[in-house]
Amino acid sequence: MKAVGARLPRYDGVGHVTGQTQFVDDVRVREMLWAKALRSPHHHAAITRMDTSKAEAMPGVEAVITHADVPLLEYGHLSALGIPADEPLLAKDEVRYKGQPIALVAAEDADTARAGVEAIEIDYEERPTLFDVRKAFDDDAPTVHRWGNWYPHFEGEMDRRQIRKGNIEEAFEAADTIVSGVYRPAAIEHAPLETQVSMVVPEPDGRLTVYSCTQALYFSLGVMAAHLQVPLNRLKVVGGTVGGGFGGKVDTASETVTALAAMKANRPVKWRWTREEEFLASSTRAPWHMEIIDAVTSDGWILGRKMLTLHDSGAYARFSPYGLTKHSFHHTGAYTIPNLHFDGYVVFTNRVPTTAMRGFGVTSVSFATETHMSRIADVLGLDPFEVRLKNANRINDTSPNMITYPDPSTVDVVLSIAEATDHSLDDAYMSMSRAQRSGDMLPEHLAAQIGEGHEHASLHALVHGVDNDSEGN
Amino acid sequence: MSIDVLIPESVDAAAEAYGDGRDVTVVGGGTIVVQLMTQGWLRPTRALMLSKAGLSYVRKSGSAVTVGAMTPVTDVADLFAPLGPCAANVGDNEIRAQATVGGNLCAPTPPEHPSGDLQGPLLALDASVRSTGAGGESTETVEEFLTHRDARLVLDLSFEEPVAGAFAALDRPHAHHPTALAVSAVKAGDGSIRLAATGAGPTAIRLSSAEAAADDPEAAGQAALADADLQDDALASAWYRERMLPLLVQRVLNEIKEV
Amino acid sequence: MNITLNGVSRQISSPPLTPLLRVLRNELNVVSAKAGCEAGGCGACTVLVDGRPQRSCLTAVGSLNGAAVTTLEGLGTSENLSAVQQAFVHHYAAQCGFCTPGMVVAATAYLDAGGSDDKEAIQEALGGHVCRCTGYLKIVNAIAAAATQSEFDLTITAEEPNVVVKTGGR
Ligand SMILES: Cc1cc2nc3c(=O)[nH]c(=O)nc-3n(C[C@H](O)[C@H](O)[C@H](O)COP(=O)(O)OP(=O)(O)OC[C@H]3O[C@@H](n4cnc5c(N)ncnc54)[C@H](O)[C@@H]3O)c2cc1C
Ligand code: FES
Ligand code: FES
Repeated sequence: MKAVGARLPRYDGVGHVTGQTQFVDDVRVREMLWAKALRSPHHHAAITRMDTSKAEAMPGVEAVITHADVPLLEYGHLSALGIPADEPLLAKDEVRYKGQPIALVAAEDADTARAGVEAIEIDYEERPTLFDVRKAFDDDAPTVHRWGNWYPHFEGEMDRRQIRKGNIEEAFEAADTIVSGVYRPAAIEHAPLETQVSMVVPEPDGRLTVYSCTQALYFSLGVMAAHLQVPLNRLKVVGGTVGGGFGGKVDTASETVTALAAMKANRPVKWRWTREEEFLASSTRAPWHMEIIDAVTSDGWILGRKMLTLHDSGAYARFSPYGLTKHSFHHTGAYTIPNLHFDGYVVFTNRVPTTAMRGFGVTSVSFATETHMSRIADVLGLDPFEVRLKNANRINDTSPNMITYPDPSTVDVVLSIAEATDHSLDDAYMSMSRAQRSGDMLPEHLAAQIGEGHEHASLHALVHGVDNDSEGN
Repeated sequence: MSIDVLIPESVDAAAEAYGDGRDVTVVGGGTIVVQLMTQGWLRPTRALMLSKAGLSYVRKSGSAVTVGAMTPVTDVADLFAPLGPCAANVGDNEIRAQATVGGNLCAPTPPEHPSGDLQGPLLALDASVRSTGAGGESTETVEEFLTHRDARLVLDLSFEEPVAGAFAALDRPHAHHPTALAVSAVKAGDGSIRLAATGAGPTAIRLSSAEAAADDPEAAGQAALADADLQDDALASAWYRERMLPLLVQRVLNEIKEV
Repeated sequence: MNITLNGVSRQISSPPLTPLLRVLRNELNVVSAKAGCEAGGCGACTVLVDGRPQRSCLTAVGSLNGAAVTTLEGLGTSENLSAVQQAFVHHYAAQCGFCTPGMVVAATAYLDAGGSDDKEAIQEALGGHVCRCTGYLKIVNAIAAAATQSEFDLTITAEEPNVVVKTGGR
């Protein structure tokens, strides 16, 4: 443990300040082609005709890639978790969001590639669009996805992520007051300074060297191998230097199509998105719609929670079913509520697909639950710190998905915020600890939920198989 | 796609190279045109770069000021109000040093929001624009120039230092956030008042009705609404601008009254 | 045409309207200046032109005949870091590193022009530079420190470090 407490310079600090750190765009190879994409100008449309022959015939254009060039057009990022594929690598007969890639042109320079893109003849037939998750369930809502307007493939082919715990009816009958709130955080673009970029170099031995800005190198490897239908050992993915990711570089955004162009042209190809493309077509943090209805007592205990979440997935599923699952596990925030009724839907809209960002699925629910805690205190005329401390997770309390908390830190965090903000509290609260509930802090409604040891729900184990490191900075 | 690029080294050579201006793209500081070319949105066949044309100068003689078209915005940032404070409020440090006064006057109006912040103060100062193009050199007011600015090469701008001037703009949350709305006021030697707004139309506009009511700042603020064509755009809604314009007009009028 | 790049005279063959950023990266293979937006909005491409910071993505190279251009490579090497570079390492002001070339170049120009450790002045001077990682505080702190100090301790202070500091490229 020599590093703990020590002042360690960043291993890459000197490289960064001298300009020697090599980002993907900085890698130099000979004979490299530049790629530009044809992207959908419409939010939702059928592609009725596409002709790339003029682009292919242009001097300087070395490869034009469309859906027809992709060995396996659809592959799900989370196939390993049983989430089926729904998104074509390049659009075939339908575009479902503005900016969706349709074709890639690789040429001697960027201007020629752009001219090639403009030479592609394509006709669209616009279709009705859906942007508001609340309208997705209406009878007259346009259908925006081939599975319908919400993801239907949770375990057991359920169309929602559902949590039922305790007895919600009894909780609401016993309540003194009902406090409800609706929370709608908006989409956020990660806006890394380095836009999506990859360069693929065909090697003489038939392999491909793939330089990628990915923050999830093994995802990229697996996703590419699947689309390209090649064994993993044909791909050497070089990553590790990411010019900012924040979750937005988890999706395998550019390297697979770049690889197809490099294979077709048999030359190195680089595809770097412009800043405009980054804002238009790179995935964002999802907008969420969350409705919370709590059964509370006048002295500030939360007996039960009903919650409805609509997770705006954008046009395709990508990681959203997983994000919603994490969200559902955290829908009580850092607090213990014994009776729960949670329904969450992954809703499809004609927006850019959404993805991880700094606490995938959890940041949204933290915002909602923390705001709601203060709202409860406000409605009841109680101190917001005290309401939090009462309901705070304690050792051996259980989470919505029946995990027993071995060592939760809510009490300590709330107390230190009280201290930092000079908020005075009664001694009974000041001396509170994370120890297992007892006495006044163990009212009858919380007795039954106390768990023993560490029971991992099978769903949790399943999801946590990919939890680590896949969405870090 | 080879482009004919001319880099004249004198004002006369620049005027000659510009000719009648047909199919010529002028490159001033380049802060707008270069990125338009990079994105492929502008594809010139002939370009005229003014960097060596000798058009960067601020000349003062008594109360008269003449500013060359290629003068960086930074170099007018310490002039009197409303021009100085407005220039100091353009972009960031580095953009101000590269962006030119002429380029600002000629800044194209992008679809997402108005641009060309200096047009407002220049309009309020009743600056005259010396330009060249078809028919040779001519001088006209900024107000006239703004109606046909595509077909002229700007050489310089002249104006008088006013008795009093004021500039008020909505705060920008970041150096790269364009100004959503700003008002410039100028009091001339004879006591007359000129008012102009940026962000209230595709180019800066004169607030004539407000000028007529200038004695009563509150009434003038309301009157300004009749002069403006307020729109929703990426920066602000028409609703918001409608509420802010009268306040900014009041603010500048009160400021020049105190002088 | 010619420019002096980091003290060395270089011939340029790109057409005069080519942005300096593309000339540096694609013709001269000097890649420290980054293409973060190619629209003047991020500052990652900033270089010094005759000692003053300028957006290389907005600068048509034809306007630079005879000018002196300095990129991050010209400010210090891994064996001989400038005070600003040392301060950036010491204060963890470079996280992903993508904004860093523009930040260090602009900070150097700010201090060379007599800039002080006043944090508001630093923020104003670098107001056009975007960093998505650090939250800016560390960058401002580093520049303020560099304003008053010429040497920074970059050694590892744990007794037997298990981390190797990499200097130089990969
Ligand atoms: C990050 C950023 C922030 C910005 N912030 C602001 C801001 O806050 N306020 C603001 O007003 N603008 C802003 N701008 C826009 C721009 O920088 C300014 O409007 C600037 O003054 C334009 O001048 P330029 O010399 O760089 O123009 P150029 O790009 O050289 O030219 C602009 C236009 O004017 C024409 N032109 C240039 N010179 C002449 C001439 N002498 N005669 C005839 N036509 C000419 C060009 O052909 C072109 O159409 C910003 C730009 C960027 C990139
Ligand atoms: S790349 Fe030049 S400012 Fe962003
Ligand atoms: S360190 Fe990543 S953008 Fe600044």
